[in-house]
Amino acid sequence: MLRAVKHLMYGFAVVMAGLFLGCQSGSDSTSEAGFKVALATPGSIRDAGWNQSAYEGLLRIEKELGAEIAHQETRTPQDFEAAFRDFAARGFDLVFGHGFEYQDAAAKVGRKFPDTVFITTSGNTIRPNVSPIVFELEQATYVLGFVAGSISRRAKIGAIGGIKIPSVESTFLAFREGAKRAPRRVNYRSSYIGNWTDVAAAREATLAQIAEGVDVLIHNANEAAHGFFQAAKESDGVLVFGTNRNQNDLAPQSVLASAILDIPRALLLVAREVESEQFWSRSIRFGLRDDVVKVDWNEALAAELPAGVRDAADALAKEIRQGTVQVPRGNF
Amino acid sequence: MDGLSLAFLITVLRVALPLGYAALGELVAERAGVLNIGVEGMMLVGAFAAYHIGVATDSVLIAMVFAILASVLLSACFAFFVIVRVADPIVCGAALNILALGVTGTLHRTLAGRMNAATVAPQADGMMLILIFALVAIGIVVLLRTTRAGLTLRAVGESAQAAYAQGIPVKKVRWNGILFGGAMAGLAGASLVLWVSDTFVEGMTNGRGFVALVLVLFGGYRVGRMTVGALVFGLATALQFRLQALGFEIPYDLLLMLPYVLTLAVLVFLGDRVKGPADLARPFYG
Repeated sequence: MLRAVKHLMYGFAVVMAGLFLGCQSGSDSTSEAGFKVALATPGSIRDAGWNQSAYEGLLRIEKELGAEIAHQETRTPQDFEAAFRDFAARGFDLVFGHGFEYQDAAAKVGRKFPDTVFITTSGNTIRPNVSPIVFELEQATYVLGFVAGSISRRAKIGAIGGIKIPSVESTFLAFREGAKRAPRRVNYRSSYIGNWTDVAAAREATLAQIAEGVDVLIHNANEAAHGFFQAAKESDGVLVFGTNRNQNDLAPQSVLASAILDIPRALLLVAREVESEQFWSRSIRFGLRDDVVKVDWNEALAAELPAGVRDAADALAKEIRQGTVQVPRGNF
Repeated sequence: MDGLSLAFLITVLRVALPLGYAALGELVAERAGVLNIGVEGMMLVGAFAAYHIGVATDSVLIAMVFAILASVLLSACFAFFVIVRVADPIVCGAALNILALGVTGTLHRTLAGRMNAATVAPQADGMMLILIFALVAIGIVVLLRTTRAGLTLRAVGESAQAAYAQGIPVKKVRWNGILFGGAMAGLAGASLVLWVSDTFVEGMTNGRGFVALVLVLFGGYRVGRMTVGALVFGLATALQFRLQALGFEIPYDLLLMLPYVLTLAVLVFLGDRVKGPADLARPFYG
């Protein structure tokens, strides 16, 4: 019974979509307003983080490309698929699934709607009309690792992570390897708190490293990082780095720089590609070269940097952009 | 004491205190025969209120008062369903946790959207919070052991029917137990925001309410043992973060497990086979 209803509704949706598309192509077939872009996020677009930045990207696409946009918050794999199907049936040209978890839905729905391009903002599933964006945040944490190694007074640098997942390990690996480019050898420590929300645990984990003599730290702990910055603020002579977003203002006296992802720009770049029919399916890598990954310096702390370190860091970033320096990344 | 070991001791206390508060409240509720597994949710609501009221008023005291009120309000909902409607306490407690996570998350997103992300709550004096805990804990021990009210509370937990036959207002006693549990969970959440860290994040309690439940159970429903349990948990947590910072090649999952394993081991070792209140989590229709 349920199955029958589902089929009926599906058929109905297809018929409606057909009618809708038919009408549309009749009315304006030349205008570029026909470009339609949709976004599915796993959480609220007012989270001041991952999801909000994707929505900002969608708004930029609307503004700069004049595209028609739509957004849906989706919580379960069933939701992902239903949203994708709905968007595709409504004739969207480009659909973003914001995260690793959208890959299966993209591959499944993508097969049935070859005219729609499905992009997941992480992952490794590639089909003729399905591609992942891979953010090479490692390029920025590598540069920051070099800075950390160059400025650590006690030659000890550290990293505080949420859960030890490949993407987090990879940013830390690059940080550690970057430090090896510094003039002298430094010790590296990493601690994990086992979740992404325990602010108090992040604070204690950071304080424990500081007590062991670590004086330059990076994090990758999402929301829990508030505790990381609190620990930095209360400890003299400790400098830290932000990740994913510009977090320089979370502790302006302690955050030297942030390794940031410009997600809105990444979505815009992909949308441009699809709109101009230049798109080809692949693992879409964005790094320093595309200005999607960046190092944002906290100018208020410029004086903390020994002479030459900033220039050396900029030179290293330039070499990464040119491809003369290969940044190591985890295999995932 | 040198700076290093002082910092270590403070970490131990910071981890232990919220657990101690939450467990103390749960202990009283359970001695009255009510099992409230919604401690986690009540703590979360307390933390949420403490942060937003603290930021708005810049007063630790007002933040604490509102944290207690918010948490007591939530525990009153629980009491209504469990005592008045005689609903299953486990189901209600679980519902409380989900409700608290959803409500605080939604409200926080709405409120935080208009705030600077760097906004922190005013900070309380940790020694004051510990002193309050010590006073309340001693008060509870004295109350339970030596007063008529304490005897009444225990009687209700052991056999609600027998207590009822003696003319004890069973429902009223249980209401009080639940509301006290709510107040303590509110203080636990407040201390989490006003001392242990300085901000609110969705789901920041991260299972502390459940740890508190276990402390009550394995602490044999005794205030002293439960407090020892909380301190052992704090000690093991501080220790495992130090071990991680030292760079030992031990999988971090095992180190993160340490507080749980050690606390259980210590409490099981301490305990002679205590049995809980006989009428715990049984419905009372009187």
